[in-house]
Amino acid sequence: MKIYERSVRKPISTILIYVGVIVLGLFSLSNLAVDMYPDMEIPVVSVSTVYRGANAADIEQNITRPLEDNLNTVNNMRRLTSRSQDNVSSITLELDWGSDINEAANDVRDVIGRIGSFLPEGADAPIILKFSSSMMPVMVMSVTADESYNGLAKILDDRLVNVLNRVDGVGSVVLMGAPTREVQVNVDPQRLAAFNLTVESLAGIIAAENVNIPGGTLDIGSNTFSIKADSEFRGSDELSDIVVANIGGRVIYLGDVATLKDTIAKATSEVRTNGRQGMVLLIQKQSGANTVSIVREVEKALERIVPTLPPDVTLMTVMDTSEFINESIDTLSNTILFAFIAIVLVLMFFIGRWRAVIIICLTIPVSLITAFIFLYFTGGTLNIVSLSSLSIAIGLVIDDAIVILENIQKHIERGSTPREAAIYATNEVWLAVIATTLVIIVVFLPLTMVGGMAGIMFRQLGWLVTIVTTVSTIAGITLTPMLSSLMLKADRLNHYRGLGVIFKPVDKALAGLDNGYARMLTWAVRHRVMTLAIVFVTFFASIFLVGRVPFSFMPEADQSMITASIQLQQNVNLDYTTGIARQIEADIMERYPEVRILNVTSGQSTGIFAMMMQGQAGSHTISLRMRLTNPGERDRSIFAIADLLRDDLDRIPEVREFTVSTDGGGGFSNNVQVKVFGHDMELTNEVALDIRDRLREKPTLRDVRLSRDDLRPEYNINFDRNRLAAAGLNTATAAQFVRNRISGLRASVYREGGDEYDIVVRYDEPFRTTLEDVENIMVYNSRGQGVKVGELATITQIFAPPTIERENRQRLVNVDVAMADGVAMGTAIVDIRAVLDEIEAPDGVYIEIGGAYEDQQSAFADFITLAMLIIMLVYIVLATQFESFKSPFIIILTLLPAFTGVFLILWATSTPLSLMALLGAIMLIGIAVKNGVVMVDFTNLLRDRGYSINHAVIMSGKSRLRPVLMTSLTTIFAMLPLAVGLGEGSELWQPMGIAIIGGMIFSTLLTLIMVPVLYSSFGAGDLRKEKRARRRLENGSK
Amino acid sequence: MKAIFISYNQSLSERVMSVLDHHNARGFTKWELTAGRGSEDGEPHYATHTWPARNSSILSIVPDHRVKPILDALRELDHQLPNHGLRAFVWEVVDQI
Repeated sequence: MKIYERSVRKPISTILIYVGVIVLGLFSLSNLAVDMYPDMEIPVVSVSTVYRGANAADIEQNITRPLEDNLNTVNNMRRLTSRSQDNVSSITLELDWGSDINEAANDVRDVIGRIGSFLPEGADAPIILKFSSSMMPVMVMSVTADESYNGLAKILDDRLVNVLNRVDGVGSVVLMGAPTREVQVNVDPQRLAAFNLTVESLAGIIAAENVNIPGGTLDIGSNTFSIKADSEFRGSDELSDIVVANIGGRVIYLGDVATLKDTIAKATSEVRTNGRQGMVLLIQKQSGANTVSIVREVEKALERIVPTLPPDVTLMTVMDTSEFINESIDTLSNTILFAFIAIVLVLMFFIGRWRAVIIICLTIPVSLITAFIFLYFTGGTLNIVSLSSLSIAIGLVIDDAIVILENIQKHIERGSTPREAAIYATNEVWLAVIATTLVIIVVFLPLTMVGGMAGIMFRQLGWLVTIVTTVSTIAGITLTPMLSSLMLKADRLNHYRGLGVIFKPVDKALAGLDNGYARMLTWAVRHRVMTLAIVFVTFFASIFLVGRVPFSFMPEADQSMITASIQLQQNVNLDYTTGIARQIEADIMERYPEVRILNVTSGQSTGIFAMMMQGQAGSHTISLRMRLTNPGERDRSIFAIADLLRDDLDRIPEVREFTVSTDGGGGFSNNVQVKVFGHDMELTNEVALDIRDRLREKPTLRDVRLSRDDLRPEYNINFDRNRLAAAGLNTATAAQFVRNRISGLRASVYREGGDEYDIVVRYDEPFRTTLEDVENIMVYNSRGQGVKVGELATITQIFAPPTIERENRQRLVNVDVAMADGVAMGTAIVDIRAVLDEIEAPDGVYIEIGGAYEDQQSAFADFITLAMLIIMLVYIVLATQFESFKSPFIIILTLLPAFTGVFLILWATSTPLSLMALLGAIMLIGIAVKNGVVMVDFTNLLRDRGYSINHAVIMSGKSRLRPVLMTSLTTIFAMLPLAVGLGEGSELWQPMGIAIIGGMIFSTLLTLIMVPVLYSSFGAGDLRKEKRARRRLENGSK
Repeated sequence: MKAIFISYNQSLSERVMSVLDHHNARGFTKWELTAGRGSEDGEPHYATHTWPARNSSILSIVPDHRVKPILDALRELDHQLPNHGLRAFVWEVVDQI
């Protein structure tokens, strides 16, 4: 018994199997984690090596180069970049997407083990760091306070950070911008000198006084007591009573020579949120943990914590990655729902019988739900890729059910009972149905083989569509006949009873359409040359459009987040920076009501961000994070606001450079880099600056800046070794003296409530503000004789050598370029190329365009190869199905109008050709070909039944018009919600939806004309061949 | 004894069987899949892609008095569903074991 017969004869088993599938699917769905993208690890390994005292050039020569030369052998390496700066060499290895990062890290470790002994003696062992997506904070919160500000760090540490750290899945909670308590001993150098004291001796005394020394045990009688001398400070005010000297019987206390302050350490940054000072809380997840559930848990924990905090402490969420995820997922779920409704309406229109429509539509949930089971068992997540796959599949899964149901209906109309009709009608078409599913599979399965980042994105798509369509075919040959046998009625004609009466005019209209189409076909077949000429002319005309549709990489989504980093002149201090920051802050709050939360960090931010920004941060930097209202609630997109903000920043004279980015901190950057390679730093600088200035003039480009920072002025104390020697000193001692007085000397720690705070001795602020103060610093030798720094050294102003950047073992300077609102990468590239053409690179310098452009080029190349592969596979599948070279060729030719349609609609809607649009075009290969298959197959059948070519062509056209229109319309309507782009995150899939709709409309309209005409043109030769074959058969029988 | 050869579209299987059962024609030989085409009109039943319809054939040997009711029933069925190409032929059975 065949599978369809078994399912019809055993309806209970069949129904229960599918109920089981649905239950399993719902169970999987409820247990599926929600995330933004499929699981992808950023395949980056970094190696950083510290070699103290070496300048950038030395670091490059002695550390970076030997390491690079050997690291180059690591497998799957895509790019090797390095930065050599004073004291530190950092090398970054970017591997191919999808390669095993642990294996790569091991390779790196091997390499370092091998050459470690060849590195300079004084260099520290290189540190290997694997980057991972879990390093990106899942949540950023700002904490502001008024009165409690000084004690905030401690309060938050105890009540917030520790509690949040215990939440399941939270990797770490980092408090940024927290003021740390410090006990300062600010000395007056003149008094110090008067009492013959030094910073070092004060520190020594403080350390000696703040001790707790156990004295052992004491046996008194039969008891043992431990004895100790505990003179640790009980309060920070005790410090001022320490005796530091005894001169002529007069006791000098610490309070006499220094001002004591129990305060917060000098800030290197200031964090303000919505105009109030505060700090930032970063919450990172554990690797592999689920963002959405972590954020939910954290929010629950916060509900408990917040009431325990002082009333003036306010917590605000600056960034919540889960929010965007949730909204994107909601949008896509709605998209699927809309598609479902649209499909039901289309089917009702064409079929007009609700029982039939229900049977067909039941295959949708049954097959889509298996996707959840697959995701659950392979550890996948519900993400925008998996959900979009479903909204793509929804238009495909009903096709098989339609074909089978149609044939069953035909049998019933001929008088079979529904049960017999179900079995025998399925028997007639089930192999053909499997063959068309095979076409879909050969289009989507190769997507699982794409390399690179695109591969990670589309692997899930490939698997899901393949699995879902396979299941839909199985459902089509089991569930559909089974339900038909139970639900379809044996009445042969539609009686238009009750509500059905509205279908009478619809049926009439459809019949009219059939006839009109048949008349048009008759004309077209008689004027084959002219028809084909028109078709090909439109196709070749559309080729010119290819040049007019600019390309881009990934569509950018409005994530309601804008970040900006601003640099002022080098060397301005924090107060100055803060002043500018407040001005910018006030401007933004006034001019952009859309900004809900504005978080401004001035100065050096510590922790992970500083690391990710790779240097460039300092007291002259300001970083802004803006969280805006949801896209639906505002008129301006973040891209428009970002552009306005750029104009604003441009007008502030103090701002030297800035970048404004809209990528929400994660995801994909569409920035392009112009790479200027060359060994000569000055030469490359000159060229890069020239490029930068010219690029800045282009209206299509934004945020043009060099990766190599401007030279930073510094003071250098050049000690004269002869004079040092004469004074009995050496450079190290003298330098240490300077450091202790300016930066400070950590004397001891003050313990309170289980926490330790540094006690730092240094010159009081007024005594360390000028170069003269530095020159006046007294340096003492071992005999206690003091010499002023000014007598030992000359202080000169120098420019610190910049960081040396390298890529693939060559020095380079990057010119980073972002695109203006609405400018596609392709347009920007044209402008950049124009600039580069103007510039004549000097000897030893060459220029290349990289960044997102490089990724885009390789992804496009991958996709075009993939498209070729898919077309070939489709041809092979069709050729075996038809056992002919010609029929699949006719079908493949219908792809031409499909691609015409894609370019036409992209051009008309001014959508750039992004990776997503290209993906749409690839999917079209499978979807558009289906129509051709239906037409050619039926024409072949009529030819075999003995009809003349033209008759067969017209008849099959007439009879296949409705199924073709039906499948095309369901696909178009399924894509419509994606193409319209409702809700957050829809921008990503919009180009794909648009491309598919355009391609579908064009390919459907032209397939309906082109296939019959081509068939009759190609078939004309067939007649002669057939006659010859018949003659051979007859003669052979003699 | 007479031999009745019935050839029919597979989708009539159950109804043809019920005719035989109804008239107590217990013994038969059945070919599940046969191909055929009518002498005058009707589409061929070849079980191919071009002509997907499938035929089954039954040879049943029945006592003489049962032949007429069975043929009448089959005729009625063919009359109801003329598109299914139901045909029946009767022979004389000369001998048997």
